[in-house]
Amino acid sequence: MLAGFLMAVACHAATEPLTTEDALGPQIQQPIEFPHYRHAGNRNPVDPTNSDPTKGGMEINCQYCHTYARRSLTAGIPPLQKCIGCHQNIPSVRDKPRIVELFKYWDAKKAIPWKKVHDLPDFVRFNHERHIKRFIEQQGRPVQEVCGYCHGQVKEMTTARRQKPITMGWCVSCHMKDHVVVAKGEIPEGGTPLGKQDYWYTFQKPQEKKNAEGELTAKGPNDCWLCHK
Amino acid sequence: MIDSEFDRRDFLKVLGWGGAAVALSGCGNTSIEDGKETVVSYVQAKDYVIPGVAVYFNSTCAQCDAGCSITGKIREGRVLKLEGNPESPINRGKLCGLGQASVQHHYNPDRVREPLLRKGDKGETISWEKAYGLINEKLAGVKGDEIAFLTGEMSGHQKVLLGNYMDSLGSGNHFVYEAVAPAVVRAANLKAYGVEMPRYRIDKAKVMLSFGADFLGTWVSPVHFAQQYAAFRKGVDGQRGVLIQAESKMTLTGANADRWLAVRPGTEGILALGIINALGIATGDVAELVKDYDKARVSRDTGVEPSHIDKIAAILRLRSPSLVLAGSAAEGYVHGMQNAEAINLLNHVLGNVGKTIEAPVSVPFPQLAPSKGSTASLKKLNDDLASGKYKVLFSIATNPVFTAPASYKFGDNMAKAGFKVAFAHYLDETALQADLVLPLDSEMEDWGTHVPEYLADAAQINIQQPLMERLHANTRGMGDILLALVKQRKPEEYKAFDDYYGFLRFAMLQNKNALGGAEKDDDNFWNDTLSNGIVKLSPASGALSAKADVGGIKLPAPKEADKQYPLRLIASVTSNLRDGRHTNQPWIQESPDPLTTIVWDSWVEIHPKKAAELGVVEGDIVKVTSRTGSISAQVYLFPGIHPEAVSIPIGRGHEAMGRYAKGYGVNPFSIMDAVFERETGELAMHETNVNIAKTGQRVIVVKDEGPVGGKQMGRRVAVSRSTDQVDLSKEV
Repeated sequence: MLAGFLMAVACHAATEPLTTEDALGPQIQQPIEFPHYRHAGNRNPVDPTNSDPTKGGMEINCQYCHTYARRSLTAGIPPLQKCIGCHQNIPSVRDKPRIVELFKYWDAKKAIPWKKVHDLPDFVRFNHERHIKRFIEQQGRPVQEVCGYCHGQVKEMTTARRQKPITMGWCVSCHMKDHVVVAKGEIPEGGTPLGKQDYWYTFQKPQEKKNAEGELTAKGPNDCWLCHK
Repeated sequence: MIDSEFDRRDFLKVLGWGGAAVALSGCGNTSIEDGKETVVSYVQAKDYVIPGVAVYFNSTCAQCDAGCSITGKIREGRVLKLEGNPESPINRGKLCGLGQASVQHHYNPDRVREPLLRKGDKGETISWEKAYGLINEKLAGVKGDEIAFLTGEMSGHQKVLLGNYMDSLGSGNHFVYEAVAPAVVRAANLKAYGVEMPRYRIDKAKVMLSFGADFLGTWVSPVHFAQQYAAFRKGVDGQRGVLIQAESKMTLTGANADRWLAVRPGTEGILALGIINALGIATGDVAELVKDYDKARVSRDTGVEPSHIDKIAAILRLRSPSLVLAGSAAEGYVHGMQNAEAINLLNHVLGNVGKTIEAPVSVPFPQLAPSKGSTASLKKLNDDLASGKYKVLFSIATNPVFTAPASYKFGDNMAKAGFKVAFAHYLDETALQADLVLPLDSEMEDWGTHVPEYLADAAQINIQQPLMERLHANTRGMGDILLALVKQRKPEEYKAFDDYYGFLRFAMLQNKNALGGAEKDDDNFWNDTLSNGIVKLSPASGALSAKADVGGIKLPAPKEADKQYPLRLIASVTSNLRDGRHTNQPWIQESPDPLTTIVWDSWVEIHPKKAAELGVVEGDIVKVTSRTGSISAQVYLFPGIHPEAVSIPIGRGHEAMGRYAKGYGVNPFSIMDAVFERETGELAMHETNVNIAKTGQRVIVVKDEGPVGGKQMGRRVAVSRSTDQVDLSKEV
């Protein structure tokens, strides 16, 4: 309770990236130790060729592989075809043990049995598409930041590990915050014009007056049925 | 009122503990499961596949023969839900409960999954190669005349393949059997209108008089008729249609009627002639025929009040066009044909032929037209089997051991055939008697074409296509099986076809121009066909004979009550159970009967007056005895039945088939006398007389209506133990 209060205070400056309570999940053994940091990690400014994987990644957009997240309520796992699509053209790493393992699956035309890292109970419907529409497309926030609200800094991990509690209270803690309502032109990346229904329908009505920082804010939706259909 | 030892205080205690448990699990811990489940991704995904987003495919419902087109919702490669396809003139986007339940047929845990060969009392799993080899072996040296095929209604290319296979064997013994087909009405229609099944335009009628035709529930094409009925109720020229239903046991349609008339069983024809007499507009032969059917006599015979006959005649005179239907209640007698003819005569007298009774449309490919089912065919097969005529019997998705009257001794006669092959979805009563059981794909895994018997506005060929991959690796589509079998006989002719899909595609493309694809290339035409799920054709339309033929209508006086067996047994057809082939789908079992709201069990429907006379109340277990046998079931009192009749629904009382069918209810076929309609040889399903004796046992009828239903539903569940320890399968 107290922590929540403090957190809410800490997050008051709404233009900052959303920070929420952390709760590290167990490290999960996956069939292939997929290096997220290598794919999505920041480029090494000193050595742009990234020859040393410990020094940097390729800054691939999360949505390049997790392409279903913006189209569906489930983020899905990219089909094996996607991995092969690039890796058949990257002979330099073809002999690395993980890639050898990957091609074994491909040659057998077998799906990789990944373990679920974020497995919500069956009575919860979390919609990836809506969150991506709201934060990335409407507010133009950076993709890795937005995905990171719930998934943490995946770009620094090998296989993903749960970083947040993903409990209802935790979800609600974010929905209760005053989020800045951004209109087109107010941020350089663009956004959706104010007042349009397609923008408001997932929100509670914004406050009439601007806050002390001169921003218009609104809270996330708090309808039970939104997640518990 | 819930009578249990559990009071409010205990309830609050349990609630408190439950609340505490929730609080504990929510404290610091998470209910999220890390790394427990596997999320299996695709290896190669089709472009349109997005996990979590459904795709839709069109196909055809196969739960009954009406041929409704369906659209299946498929997500992550699994079919989830079916709806009607709006493009089909038959069902126009609607689907009945029976159709909805077909996903439970597909996912049914009791489906046969491997080819089984009889080894004593057990079935031994064998491979398909061995099964085909065995059939070939058993057919060697057997004359074509010694091979019989028993199927349900069949149409489309599957029928063509079956015909080709039978030709290759030199067998002409195709028995098309449907336990509840309107075969007598077809024969009467042929006589009256020159066609077996005209198009009924319920939507154009201003008054309808239906003699036991349950067109909203079970008759011919219920989803189509239900929509016509909606138009009929809305009214032609703003005049709301009036429906009068005359029958001995109320059907779903009867319950919707403005006036429901309880007629003495078997006197429907007399009532029809009485109405013609009361109309007073008939001339010539017809007037001569009906002159003795005055109101007093008709009322005495049928039990319908004279004033009602007057009112019916008055409204029929007042409003035209009208429509008169002869349904299963009229045809189930020795003189069923006469009944139906007398009823059809009414349409001629009223001038409805050509107005509300139109010529049927037919598909311009007669080889694809349905072979229509009857019960006479089963009688013939049974007689032949009894005489030991057949050495090999193929049964394709039929269950005559369940639906043949017990006096046929069909099971025993079937045993006389040397080698019996059953193509089956379940190990039902018939499959259990077979020597070789071959598991079929569900309708959602198989390819096919269907031409329904009753076509609506346009001629159409319905496409059936897989909505998902096979659930079980070793089931096969009937078309694939027939192709494999016919390849044994004519390998040269069929070598071009790897599978039934290839055959189907080839056959459709061959007739591309006639099927309306003249301007498309092959792939486009085929893709459009699959995507539409229907091929609409310009119909070949026949003509109706407008002349009334009264020759041969001679109705017997109503039967005197039998002293030993005073009651008439009406084995009723209900809209969800039909002939019992779908009883193993739990939605079918649990959906309340529309009239009695009873679930999961059979009942004996008795008029309250009769029940008082017999001294029985609801829930009494009574023994219903006919000349053939006896069964026991719970009594349900229902005013919508003639006091001289009792009714038991068909479809329940399976001794095999699966966990949701076996052991629930009783099978009225097991006490049905083998009495036949005089002219068509159809089984007269309403000609069994029974008596009723109390057994002294009483149960609570499990039904939706009334306070008792509520009590049943809340029964003991989760009150004596905490919810996680309750085994719901034992409680409910």
